[in-house]
Amino acid sequence: MESHEYDWYILFPNHHQGLRLNRELKEQGIKNTIAPTPREASTSCGMSLIVGEADLESIMAVIEAKSIIIEKIVKIARKEWQYRSC
Amino acid sequence: MADYKQMWTDLGMDLEKHDLLCEVLPEAFGGVYLSQQNRPQGMGFYDFVVSEIHGVRPAEMLEHQKQGGKVFGTFCVYVPDEVVFAAGGIAAGLCGGSQFWVSGGEKVLPANTCPLIKASVGARLDKTCPFFLIPDMYVGETTCDGKKKAWEILAGEVPFHIIDVPQMKRDKDVAAFEAEIMDFIAMVEKVTGNKITAERLGESIKLINNKRKGLQRLYNARKASPVPISGKDALLVTQIAFYDDPARCAQMANQLAEELEERVARQEGVFPANALRIMVSGTPMAIPNWKLHHIIETAGAAVVVEESCTGTRYFENLVDESATTVEGQVRALAERYMKTNCACFTPNPGRVEDIVRLADEYKVDGIIDTNLQFCNLYSTESFLVKQALADKGLPVMHIETDYSEQDYEQLRTRIEAFLEMLRK
Ligand code: SF4
Ligand code: SF4
Repeated sequence: MESHEYDWYILFPNHHQGLRLNRELKEQGIKNTIAPTPREASTSCGMSLIVGEADLESIMAVIEAKSIIIEKIVKIARKEWQYRSC
Repeated sequence: MADYKQMWTDLGMDLEKHDLLCEVLPEAFGGVYLSQQNRPQGMGFYDFVVSEIHGVRPAEMLEHQKQGGKVFGTFCVYVPDEVVFAAGGIAAGLCGGSQFWVSGGEKVLPANTCPLIKASVGARLDKTCPFFLIPDMYVGETTCDGKKKAWEILAGEVPFHIIDVPQMKRDKDVAAFEAEIMDFIAMVEKVTGNKITAERLGESIKLINNKRKGLQRLYNARKASPVPISGKDALLVTQIAFYDDPARCAQMANQLAEELEERVARQEGVFPANALRIMVSGTPMAIPNWKLHHIIETAGAAVVVEESCTGTRYFENLVDESATTVEGQVRALAERYMKTNCACFTPNPGRVEDIVRLADEYKVDGIIDTNLQFCNLYSTESFLVKQALADKGLPVMHIETDYSEQDYEQLRTRIEAFLEMLRK
């Protein structure tokens, strides 16, 4: 993956919509990763998709074409990571 | 965003405390898991399960209860899930792997109790985990002393059944365990109101065997060099297997294994072919305990097999499917379960033999034998493990640790030194 200081997260009203977009993007060969939604993006937890900045435009086209409902797209700055038990 | 607040409130959860866990998990999972390179596509399912960890599966279990089904919470791989599923119930492994729950357990347990027990008791008492609040009944066992006494505390919270697991493996002990399974059947029938017939038990034996076969197939791919999946990812699959629906678990494990087999055929790996191959043996690592694997793998070595209850002990050995009567099936169950080699048995030569055999099958360069802090059984047995491995010329190091991050740097230094020694 290219190194940039931001990650782009797509958030959904529920996981059904998230899984739908995940499937569509996979079929079209657009890289995306299912991830737990970080606190900076939303206070409710659940899945979101991490996607590449360069793919945003084509992803928006898929969202529109397949009428997938998303909540928002959030850009989050990468932080220095340290191991933490959870 | 997915909103499970109503479900959690109905379960009587402490939302404020629970929220603290929700806050930490995404970052921890991101740093430990999502930072890995070239992960198999099939891991997407498991990333999803973690992302919705207190939502999707708990909702399924609650729906099952709404339809009149029962849920049984378990804490050990000696509890035969087959019985529960044969009665139309759901069995869910509840072992606590979160540091977050330890302090709740410490309020009622002696300080020198292992973190797994502390976390399991804490998760229930603090009401921070839906999985601990959903079950209609907990099923404990007589394995280690810490657990045996913890059951008496948890029994004040939720109906409890205890399976008497023998301490030795003579024929009469297998027969005794058989009788225990019979009692368990009677109890599960009573709680669910469903009769366990030979037909239903036979189907259930196949169901759980299929799940074992899926996991075996996945582990089999880890024998290849370069290894097609990280130890962390494989560990996550096993951890989730403890509470996922068994049929889906088998399906997902097989799907992932198929992808890994394709990788093996292409000689594609997640570590270079010359990376050190490590076996981790010892006590279970319940979700979200990924500490040791993370240290080993970020130091450049691959964990290729776990000799533990969150590893081979969970799925090795199938139940014989040929019996046609409940008595015969229960005999087959007792025989299969009594093949599992936990340090709570004495003597326990089978476990050391397993480690030696797995070292050969997975072509490991070294073994990290580990136990959770205050686990007297595995800690004592580590002496015998070391002795046997020294006889075979297999390098081993012993690590005792807990769930906290306090010893993280110290462990990293020790593990790096061990790996350095193996590289020479
Ligand atoms: S380590 Fe022993 S007591 Fe613990 S889950 Fe495994 S078999 Fe049960
Ligand atoms: S790790 Fe040891 S002390 Fe802890 S529950 Fe398992 S057998 Fe008991």
